[in-house]
Formats: sequence, structure tokens, C-alpha cells
Amino acid sequence: MKIMQMSFMIIGVFLFFALAGLFFLNISLKGIQSGASDLAREQAISSLGIIAAIPELNYDARASMTVDEDKLRIMSGGFGATYGEFWPIASLEVYKVYPAFDEVVKCPASDCNYYDVYDSGQTNVEKFSSYVSICKRVREFGSVYDRCSIGKLVAGVKKYEE
Amino acid sequence: MRLDKKAQQEIVGFVLIVVLVMVVMMVFLIISVRDSGEEVLSTGVSNMLDVLMKTTTECAIVYEPDYDDFEDLVKSCYKEDDCSNLDMSACDYLNESLREVVSAMVLSDAAVLGWNVDFSEREGAGILRWSEGNCTSGISGAQRSIVSGGDSLVVRMRIC
Repeated sequence: MKIMQMSFMIIGVFLFFALAGLFFLNISLKGIQSGASDLAREQAISSLGIIAAIPELNYDARASMTVDEDKLRIMSGGFGATYGEFWPIASLEVYKVYPAFDEVVKCPASDCNYYDVYDSGQTNVEKFSSYVSICKRVREFGSVYDRCSIGKLVAGVKKYEE
Repeated sequence: MRLDKKAQQEIVGFVLIVVLVMVVMMVFLIISVRDSGEEVLSTGVSNMLDVLMKTTTECAIVYEPDYDDFEDLVKSCYKEDDCSNLDMSACDYLNESLREVVSAMVLSDAAVLGWNVDFSEREGAGILRWSEGNCTSGISGAQRSIVSGGDSLVVRMRIC
């Protein structure tokens, strides 16, 4: 009888510590998970920097995260799709953030604010975005200057099931 | 009777263990959940600040179309220049336009609860400051040094 009581007690204590341990582990892993997602986000931004730096999009080779609006216009006019396998991603879009707009106008069109550069048509895609400068050469008052606005580069990456 | 007392002692012992573990768990939970409120350097905010500084404004100090970007506008404000085409000082224009631009940027990001940007001399008082929302925890930040003449200026951005 006493042995039975003792074994029940030992099982009870063991289960209690196991549950407490799981709780500790869950809290500790939560920090690791958020750290991992932060790192993934930072890595995604770095990767978007590489995409913005390719000659097909880049405005000034010396400046990072700067894309050429004229190149975007050409690429979004169907030229982006001809690159096909060249893109290491599933989709690539750029939209203007500032000057702000009320409705999305797909390019090429006048006063457009959304460039659909490439879309492979893949489903189950995870999207990452980063701010970019959208620059173009403008002629005004007889002089030429660079005008840069703010945009967002959105790249879709195929999500693989684990 | 002796057997009952022993059982009571065991129960009291078990309850003590449970209470002790609970207290340790609560302390651990409080330490884990509590956010220090310290600013963390972030690539995202750094990229946001870079893009902001490169944005062309409507302010031309000398002639049109030699418009300042935000980096030049900060320098012009520090030198107390005026926007020749807008009939206002560079500082007034900076004060007005930077809030509008950062608000538009933040609007495109649903995860942002608040932000603040300040511009100051490296070792001196703040010159201009903008803020929206309330930043108490989960703060990510970045800063840029701008040299104007012989003076070093700093622009800081914090997002939460």
C-alpha cells in the first residue's frame, strides 16, 4: 500500500515538473522564434537590395536601393516577362508610396503608381518588401535634374511546404 | 492517527513544491515578457532613413530646378537658408514636409504603431523633432550623420 502511495506521489511530482519544464521551454523558444523571424526579415531586405541593384532596374550604380522609373516602365510593359527564368523570384512589383495616391493605377499609364514587373503565376508565394527610391531624369526650366520619389519593392518568394 | 499525520505532511510537502515552482515560473515569466524598451538597430529602419534622405523636395534654395533632397534640406535648415521658390524658410518647409512623407511611408506598413524623427547637432541640442503615436517598447532605430560646413549633424529615426 505504502509503495503504491509513494509511486503515485513520484509520478505526480514527475508530471508536474515535466509540465513546468514544457512551460519554461515554450517561453524560451518564443524568444528564439521572434529572433529568427527578425533575422529572416533583415536577410530579405538585403536580398531585395541585390534585386534593386541589377542593371535592369538600377538608377545609379553608386547608390543602393535606387531604381530607375523609366526602366520600371519598360519592364512592366511586358518586357519583364520575357526575362522568364532570369528572375530568381516568383514575382516582382514596385509601387509608389510618396507622393501618396488614392487609387492604384497600373503602369504603363499616365500618372501610374504601380509597376507589375514580373509575375510567374505561381501560387503559395510569400512576399517581402523594402523601401526604394524611384528616380528619373526630369527636364524643367531648361535644366535637367534627378527627381526621386519613394516606393516599395515587393518580391514574392515561392513557399516550400515542410 | 500517525498514518494520517504522515499523509498530511506529504501533502504539505507537495503543496510547498508546487508553490515554489509556481513562484519561480512567475519570476521567469515576468523577466521574459518584460521589454527593456531599449532601441535596437534595424536594417529596415536604416533603409527607410536612407530612402527618405534621397527623396527630392519642392524646395530650391538657389534656383529652380536645383531642388534639395531631404539631406540637403537638413543642411539648408541648419544654415538658416530660405526656399527661394516657395517664399518660406528651409526649416519651415522641412518641418511641414517631413511629417507628411514619413506618415505616408508608415501608412504603407501596417505593423508600425508610432514613429519619431529628430535632427540635432552631434553634441548639442535638438533642432527639429517630429513624432506620431506612442513609442514605449519594441523600438527599432537608425541614424545618419550629415556634415554641413564644419559641423556634424545627426538625423535619428525610431519606429515601434
